[in-house]
Amino acid sequence: MQTTRRAALFGAAAIVSAAMPAIAEEEDIVIGFAVAESGFMQAYDEPATQAALIRIEEINEEGGLLGRQIVPVFADTKSDRAEGARAGLEVIEAGADMVVVSCDYDFGAPAALMAEAQNKISFFLCAESVRAGIQGVGPHSFSASVLAAVQGATMAEWAHEELGATTFYVLEDTWTEYNKGICDGFNWRAPQIEGVEIVGRDTFVNDDASIAAQITRIRNLPEPPDAIMLCSMMPGVVSAVRQIRNAGIEVPILNGSGVDGSYWMDAVPSLSEFYIPVQGSVYGDDPNPAVEEFNVRFEERFGARPSSQYAYPGYVMVDLWAKAVERAGTTDAAAVVEELEKMDEEPTLFGPRTFTSELHHQNRARYHIVKVTDGEPAVVDSWTIDEPIPLEVLLQ
Amino acid sequence: MTAVLQILFDALSLGSLYALGALGIALIFGVMRLVNFAHGDYISFSIFALLWPTTAATTILFLGQVPPAVLIPFVILIGAGVSVLSEILVFRRLRDANPATLMIASFALGFVIKNLLLMLYSSRPKSLSILPGLAQQVEIGGARIPLLQVVTVAATIVILIALTAFLKRTRFGLEMRAAAQDFTMARMLGVRANRVILLAFAISGMLAGAIGLAIVVQTGTADINMGLSVMLVAFIATVIGGLGSLYGAVVAGFLIGGASVLMQVILPLDARPFRDAFVYALVIVVLLWRPQGLFAPRTAKQRV
Amino acid sequence: MTRAPSIMAKTVSTPLILIAILAAIAIAVDAFGSGPLARTVIEMLIRVVLVVGIWIFVGNSGIISFGHVGFMCLGAYAAAWLTIPPMLKQISLRGLPEFLLENQFPFWPSALAASLLPAVFALILGPVLMRLAGIAASIATFAMLAVINTVYSNWSTVTGGTSSVIGIPTVTDVWIALGMASGAIVIAWLYAISRSGLALRAARDEAIAAQASGVNIERERLIAFVLSAFVCGAAGVLYAHFLGIITPDAFFLTATFVALSMLVVGGINSLSGAVIGVVFISVIIQLLRWMERGVQVGETTVAIPSGAQEIAIGLVMIVILIFRPAGLLGNREIVWTSRREPRVARTQPAE
Repeated sequence: MQTTRRAALFGAAAIVSAAMPAIAEEEDIVIGFAVAESGFMQAYDEPATQAALIRIEEINEEGGLLGRQIVPVFADTKSDRAEGARAGLEVIEAGADMVVVSCDYDFGAPAALMAEAQNKISFFLCAESVRAGIQGVGPHSFSASVLAAVQGATMAEWAHEELGATTFYVLEDTWTEYNKGICDGFNWRAPQIEGVEIVGRDTFVNDDASIAAQITRIRNLPEPPDAIMLCSMMPGVVSAVRQIRNAGIEVPILNGSGVDGSYWMDAVPSLSEFYIPVQGSVYGDDPNPAVEEFNVRFEERFGARPSSQYAYPGYVMVDLWAKAVERAGTTDAAAVVEELEKMDEEPTLFGPRTFTSELHHQNRARYHIVKVTDGEPAVVDSWTIDEPIPLEVLLQ
Repeated sequence: MTAVLQILFDALSLGSLYALGALGIALIFGVMRLVNFAHGDYISFSIFALLWPTTAATTILFLGQVPPAVLIPFVILIGAGVSVLSEILVFRRLRDANPATLMIASFALGFVIKNLLLMLYSSRPKSLSILPGLAQQVEIGGARIPLLQVVTVAATIVILIALTAFLKRTRFGLEMRAAAQDFTMARMLGVRANRVILLAFAISGMLAGAIGLAIVVQTGTADINMGLSVMLVAFIATVIGGLGSLYGAVVAGFLIGGASVLMQVILPLDARPFRDAFVYALVIVVLLWRPQGLFAPRTAKQRV
Repeated sequence: MTRAPSIMAKTVSTPLILIAILAAIAIAVDAFGSGPLARTVIEMLIRVVLVVGIWIFVGNSGIISFGHVGFMCLGAYAAAWLTIPPMLKQISLRGLPEFLLENQFPFWPSALAASLLPAVFALILGPVLMRLAGIAASIATFAMLAVINTVYSNWSTVTGGTSSVIGIPTVTDVWIALGMASGAIVIAWLYAISRSGLALRAARDEAIAAQASGVNIERERLIAFVLSAFVCGAAGVLYAHFLGIITPDAFFLTATFVALSMLVVGGINSLSGAVIGVVFISVIIQLLRWMERGVQVGETTVAIPSGAQEIAIGLVMIVILIFRPAGLLGNREIVWTSRREPRVARTQPAE
């Protein structure tokens, strides 16, 4: 509070000398981060931003991009939409060649729209809605992550093939578009599979104080389902899982990537039969040893290992954009977009990535399947869905 | 039959949370016409006090590994403490303010508490499995009921009985009931206002701590907004029950919990996401039917 | 209405001064400020429209409403329906009626129509809600907000559900926002000095006496309710065209409390309070934000930690309310008098 008082003393000076983010040198390449440094989204934006910084530092150490250094500039969105738009404008005014926006589509879009209006490339740190791209923001917008629907579809296919599940129960948290997206993917894929039956559906809202009624409905099924598809996210998902397990329902629970991370698993003692699709493993057992090397580097740089797979898209983002810039030989948005759209199964540390002129997002991706047994998560398999998810399904 | 019993318990356990919340809000409203929007943040605060401040994803328990006999009173005392402190620091200085000012002050206070927690702990939910022994099930009349539900309902009943005894049998209680019914009159008859109000805040804070415990045992997580949805419903229950009627607040809390569970059970799948819309529409209907609330004390008069 | 001209002359300086304050800020920022600062000012002007809209009902009737942000939601979505290019609508909002799906309307007619929707909604729901008084009415308005939020969050084919609706033309600039804020102030002022406004304030202060003098409280409340829904709807329209993207949860609890806080800090019983409350809080927030980013003091940069701004603004509000429980302006209006004797609005209707 000492600083507060001192700062207040110089409040008048503040108005005059409103410090802009560090102005980059003329020849530097600037990546502007309009992400949350405080508020609700901070916990979700920070890991991916840190991963992005690691890739930036790597590139700079290797001699830079087009022989120029990459300089990150930051503006805090404060987890607020109007602030987000303003933060976007701020980093653009600070000379950003590319604008990185908040993880969540709803919170990132205002800044991305600012970039779009000035024909700048924007990258969502980890948004998983199809609208984080051409279909929402516009032709210069990309997402560094994979569509939520792919996660649902992956779970449907994998659970049928590998767990032999044929009867599913779908429990959907209607709180956000992300949750609905997972279920959309599942609902598209599951009925296509021969012999699969969805035996029941129910909804809840993330902040429901209790989902006892929903659980009672599951228990009153004549036969327990082979698996429950749970489309939910933090924080409510923890409560839902705990209530389901406490009610004695022990069937496998399938999820989206949003539940990745062992940090919450103490809440459900000896959690088992719990499945999560991830882009890379934070548990030290990724099939690709380079991923573990990244985790170690991350810990050296920031003092803790990535808490979930949502750090990784930040790394992928800088990686892909830098490659496109290298190939285009310029940071000019139109040329870079063209190069990005040429990427077909472009290898990255966390699986191949594809962009086309129709879709700036992944509608098919390789996922590792993490299985939690007795509270211990471990990669048990890798899976790529047969067919990419059609655009009509994503837009419904 | 077992299905009905199950639903009944679902409704009772959700209703218990709302009832305790409504009671906490009604107590303070009764003595000082304050709709305390910081109540939800007392709930989160009393739980977060168990955790060591860190913005990292992992949870470090500060006081979590102690036996329940220490843990439960600790959380409840923290709840009482933050509540009493807010009365001394903020609300005592607003005695003559109108209800709107009081309400906004309480909102601002809640905003400060929430953002303080956000800064210290980040928004990521913190997992903590306290009282894991409650994660079992018991058979009652053929239905398998989670032990936690039974305990929540039982604890609520115990709290309600204890509070009733306190209000009916002690001098403090008498003063408080008098103050809740007609504060000015009570003051004239020699009730010491500040003492009664402080006591109301203490009890209300204890209830917040108790709700926090019930939620955290149920969800296994502490979240910055964990108290919000309970507080909103509790606030509505207080009004539907009849302002000034503690008994009404409790009954209304149970009714809303029941209505919410019932809606979840009877609505068709397509309409279920709209559940809260139906519940709140019902609230409007009840208000139109009984603007003074279901159990309005006879002294309450409608201000036209 | 025989009294109207004299009241008008006596009070006209209030809206003029308020508009002049806003215009001065807008012009100064337009001339000297940066793009981000201009956005801060637009946001402030939109809040002025919202808070003045809320004041029309709350200030005159004395009933705290938690529901008015719901009207903002209705207005914002209606604006989206009318102005998003048909191509986009046909993908994301397929449940809209034909004439909306196939057409795109220009800003001003759409803004008017979109503001009328919440007014019509208020006109339908109002006769029921206005029968309630005091805290019961407040809760009923909150229930209304919750119903609107739940429906808009889940009526996917028409509102896009929880997903952001995107593609709204971003036409709101400083001048449009200033124009609408001025319009809102003028509407609020005209209502306050109208027969209905006077009657409603009389009923607010002395309900029984007002009723005995033949004031139909429910009717006057309804007029204020509908008018304020219209103005709040306009705030929603501005907001939609400002960000270009809307979701239902932008119009829920946080927005409600921010708006009510500004109103109460300014002074709930006066129009000047509504406007000054917004301006004052917005300025403090902006100062705190600058401090968060760091202030150059000689060699060193002094910064308060990220997130401290929110804590500080809460504390500032508490302190203001403790020292000025009736808000910054108390019950007074800002008026132009040579004797500098502020007129007390509250006593006006009781004369």
